[in-house]
Amino acid sequence: MKAQKTALTQGFIRCHDCGCLSKQAGKNRLCRLCGGRLHPRLPNSFQRTAALLLSAFCLYIPANIFPIMTITSLGVGEPHTIIGGIMALINGNMVPIALLVLVASILVPLLKLLGISLLLLNIHYRWQGRAKKWTILYRIIAFVGRWSMLDIFMISILVSLVDMGGVAQVIAGPAATAFAAVVVLTMFAAKNFDPRLLWDNQR
Amino acid sequence: MNQTNFTACPECDLLLKPGAPVVGDKAHCPRCGYLLQRPRKQSIERTFALSIAGLILIFPANLMPLVGIKMLGNTKDGTLWSGVVALFEEHLWGVAILVFLSSIIFPLLNIILSLLISAHLYFNKPNPYLAHWMRWLQHLDEWAMLEVYMLGIIVACVKLSATSELKFGFGLYAFVALLIVTGMLTSSLDKVLFWRQIGQLRK
Repeated sequence: MKAQKTALTQGFIRCHDCGCLSKQAGKNRLCRLCGGRLHPRLPNSFQRTAALLLSAFCLYIPANIFPIMTITSLGVGEPHTIIGGIMALINGNMVPIALLVLVASILVPLLKLLGISLLLLNIHYRWQGRAKKWTILYRIIAFVGRWSMLDIFMISILVSLVDMGGVAQVIAGPAATAFAAVVVLTMFAAKNFDPRLLWDNQR
Repeated sequence: MNQTNFTACPECDLLLKPGAPVVGDKAHCPRCGYLLQRPRKQSIERTFALSIAGLILIFPANLMPLVGIKMLGNTKDGTLWSGVVALFEEHLWGVAILVFLSSIIFPLLNIILSLLISAHLYFNKPNPYLAHWMRWLQHLDEWAMLEVYMLGIIVACVKLSATSELKFGFGLYAFVALLIVTGMLTSSLDKVLFWRQIGQLRK
């Protein structure tokens, strides 16, 4: 790949917020346009992303093994895990919706966890080439992140609507907190990841 | 080299000569393909108008029932707020706060900030907080998840439709309208133009 001039190698810092370029100078400079703090790259991007990612990995386990909600009908409780909920939808002949939930609550979190891990490995081992493809992976991860909240919102609606005492009730389970935490942590991890690091490594 | 003659790509840091894209054009980074700018027709005016519309719609969308169910003779209406309360009552504070923030507070803040910024730019009134507001708006943007909530409503309705009778409240129509307005608001807001205008007002 032919070397191209980046702002950093030419002695400029791009403000993260307003995009204005400033001449590189000492520490803690402020952007002259918006007053934001200037950093050549997001500070401690690798470490922060890795820390958030590890926490998300840990919480991904309880999110999947504990019940995310319990559906009680006529006094009989039936706990559902995330996968159990999808199975229930398939058994109820609601395959399109089951696919939607499968994508939003299983595939997307997995894609994010594995994708961010690969991006971090890429930076750590300075993999050469195809930086554009990696940037596209980053963009996909950043874009799909919020859609995993689907399950959480669905539970919040079900819990408030289906509340008929012993007759029929939906109770949210402990996995809901873990799952919500996974979504938020991976969103923060993606936000802290600086895609420019992918390009800095290219020789 | 004059500082203002160049810009840099936010995702690969390539030093670029700023083009002057016209309405209908899309300016992409030549190296990583990042969408640098997509000028919109009357960006400031439209943002101003749409944020007023959003501010009006957010009240019925929040206060009126979205969906109601009729189950075994009982009826129950659900609003955005009742979902939060139900989660809170089941001691899932973390999830309740997350749902509260991403479905009520952040969309509201987004609209208020867009309104404040576009009003100041429209009337050419300088304000020392403009840059702060703009920065907050950029950070909050991805945490307002109305469209994900909409998907959650759809999935919950499909799940409930098997066992109970559903009725859609006026709030749902307001919610869909709000969704469309906020979507248009995000796409009409040209960040590059907004920052440039904020910079000019400062001088």
